[in-house]
Amino acid sequence: MKKLYVLILAFIALSFLVPETAHAIPAFARKYGFTCTMCHTAFPKLNDFGQRFRDNGYQIPGQEGYEKNVFEIPPPISMRTPVGFSVYDSKQGATSGFNVYGLDLLAAGVLHKNISFLLIYTPRIDEPAGDYAGPNNGANPSQLGSMESANIVFSNIVQNALNLRIGRFEPAYQVFSSHRSFYIMEPYEVYTFTTPANSYLFSDNQMGVEATGHFKSGFKYGLGVVNGNGGNPDNSNYKDVYLNLVQIIGKGDGQSAGQRIGVFGYYGWQPTVLPGSVVAPTGETNGSGNKPFYKLGGDVSLNWSTLNLEVLVMGGNDDKALNTLDPTKDYRYSGGFVELDWAALMNNRLIASVLYNWVTPPSYDNGRSINAYSALVRYYLGDWTAFNVALHGEYTYREIGTTNPTKDNLFTVLVDFDF
Amino acid sequence: MKRAKYFLMLAVLIAPSSLIAQGSPKQQVLPNITTINVHSLGPQRIGNLPPVPVPPDNPQTSMKVQLGKQLYFDTRLSKDNTVSCQTCHDPAMGWSDAGPTSTGIHGQKGPRRAPPVSNAAYNPLQFWDGRAASLEEQAEGPMQNPVEMGNTLDNVVETLNGIPGYVEEFKQVFGTTPITIAQVVQAIAAFERTVVTTDSPFDRYIRGDRKALTPLEKQGMAIFNGKGHCTACHWGPDFSDGRFHNLGVVQTGPSKVDNGRYDVTHNPADMGAFKTPTVRDAGLRPPYMHDGSEKTLETVVDLYNRGGGDDDPNLDPLIVPLGLSKEEVKALVAFMRVALTSNNPEVAHVKPIPVSELPK
Repeated sequence: MKKLYVLILAFIALSFLVPETAHAIPAFARKYGFTCTMCHTAFPKLNDFGQRFRDNGYQIPGQEGYEKNVFEIPPPISMRTPVGFSVYDSKQGATSGFNVYGLDLLAAGVLHKNISFLLIYTPRIDEPAGDYAGPNNGANPSQLGSMESANIVFSNIVQNALNLRIGRFEPAYQVFSSHRSFYIMEPYEVYTFTTPANSYLFSDNQMGVEATGHFKSGFKYGLGVVNGNGGNPDNSNYKDVYLNLVQIIGKGDGQSAGQRIGVFGYYGWQPTVLPGSVVAPTGETNGSGNKPFYKLGGDVSLNWSTLNLEVLVMGGNDDKALNTLDPTKDYRYSGGFVELDWAALMNNRLIASVLYNWVTPPSYDNGRSINAYSALVRYYLGDWTAFNVALHGEYTYREIGTTNPTKDNLFTVLVDFDF
Repeated sequence: MKRAKYFLMLAVLIAPSSLIAQGSPKQQVLPNITTINVHSLGPQRIGNLPPVPVPPDNPQTSMKVQLGKQLYFDTRLSKDNTVSCQTCHDPAMGWSDAGPTSTGIHGQKGPRRAPPVSNAAYNPLQFWDGRAASLEEQAEGPMQNPVEMGNTLDNVVETLNGIPGYVEEFKQVFGTTPITIAQVVQAIAAFERTVVTTDSPFDRYIRGDRKALTPLEKQGMAIFNGKGHCTACHWGPDFSDGRFHNLGVVQTGPSKVDNGRYDVTHNPADMGAFKTPTVRDAGLRPPYMHDGSEKTLETVVDLYNRGGGDDDPNLDPLIVPLGLSKEEVKALVAFMRVALTSNNPEVAHVKPIPVSELPK
């Protein structure tokens, strides 16, 4: 009986391993009659054209003002969901099961010249009644309902030098997008690593406003002011700011061609006292005692033929007031990942990839250090316009902690479809 | 059933004569289906060509088309009676010429390659730099270009007014005399609007014949529409966005520098940009690019695969290295060379009108 509980617990832990689902937007492909590889190396990872299309507010560069708007095309709605089977093995035991690993409902399009929008809703997947046996009192769905993105984009305010994105969006510092990674089960660990009393999550889409620009020299920037709480109400009277700078060397945009190097920094505040007495009509409370934290990092994307090597390294520092583990000192950690993707076969129908993730917390928290080794293969069934189906196999071996680490294996095969 | 056959035979016999209606005082007015240019509708799928857009002030008539055809093949429009429209826009060369750039009177070499006349009716702007807004305006250009036909418009009109046969035909078509240059270019444009290719294997495939393309050509079409990024510019039924792009082509030929669209707009963003040509029937008319610098479709694809030509600071943002393998290049070229080559005999096999049959 005890073993059964362990297995149930392990299976529930498995559901927490599932990162946010990633997305591609076939509504655009339907609009133009493109196949997925126009914008994606293979969905969901953007190629250079797709990146420039996104940077230009979902308009083909040079076609601003001539694009059909959302009222002139079929409903610009898309959906993506991966469904399949996972085997999870840890020292507590093994478990396996079929699962729906995520569901994205997307709508996006051009409203007017240089004005566009993106909505991504991720509904709760499982039935609430199905949670009765869960340890979290029925609050343990595979995916919580969330308005992952809801933003409007004003493009080319000053030619390519100033574009504004307002709402909830994927910040520009995620140059390696967790939402458009080939990996469905294994996240970029350093993106999802949480520090002791800080609700900020690097992988989260944020609410606020972001200015971006891209130049013929290959220079790009992103500058944003955000709540820093993902989709949650903000209880800090201070706002977070970030800046990322990118330089592309050679032809391309660094996604599928050209070489790209970048740096980024995020400076935020977290309240140490909450909630306060003031409750705004929109739900925020006035958390107080705000203390700072920051994250700094660098990234490189190297391309050769259809090989893409991605490296990201970052470090974080939380004020000691946010360090519940040792309030005498700031909480400092570092981490990153190295990923090598290879696109093969006609029209990139086959993707193979290896990924190494690491996170190194301070010594007094080394029970949460992470070393994860992953590999995947994806095969796309066709070259269809505006929809595709990928057969996906992914494996991760992960060690958590340094002394007597927890070791687990996760193997997943799934069908990933997008239309 | 026999009655149906009888009517069918009658229809077949009547149709050509009514369409040609040559010499009849009453002109057959051809249907003007649309005046909307497909490019005004924004980026769209590749597909079958819609009806040719016809300007309201120059309706198609069978006699006008026939008159325009005669003018098209008539060398008397040039200064020394050696060059006609056909010289550089030859039906036998895919309505372009052998190139790399065109040859005018006295063997002079032009700086650019002759754009194809086939399907030019769909272009929102004419010439590589888009300096003409219509086929009518375009037709005036070569006649008075010193390197091409070397004439003046006044001389052209004077010459034609001195040919009784033309005077009579123009009178029948336009109802007035003497001949004006506006009538000349309207007639030529009317003929050019009949040079439309609609029956390629691709067209048949789109119409539902799933066997019209070979597996290799289908793969090529997927690449054209995807990894090759071709439809970023070569979109729509005529495989062209009708706009201007700088591909970083290293200038060759008589011109050391060619500013392209910039010379028309004086917008720095247009420096070195040239109009997107249609890919329809591209296999019939090598070499390629505005200066004919790319000899084959393979070298064209290679140029794109490298991310354009040189490191032009004004390189179009749509031009990025593609990462195409040899097999993908082969498939892509098969699609362009074979699947997009039309089988419209009335267009592909238009024979020049012999001098003896031109108006006298």
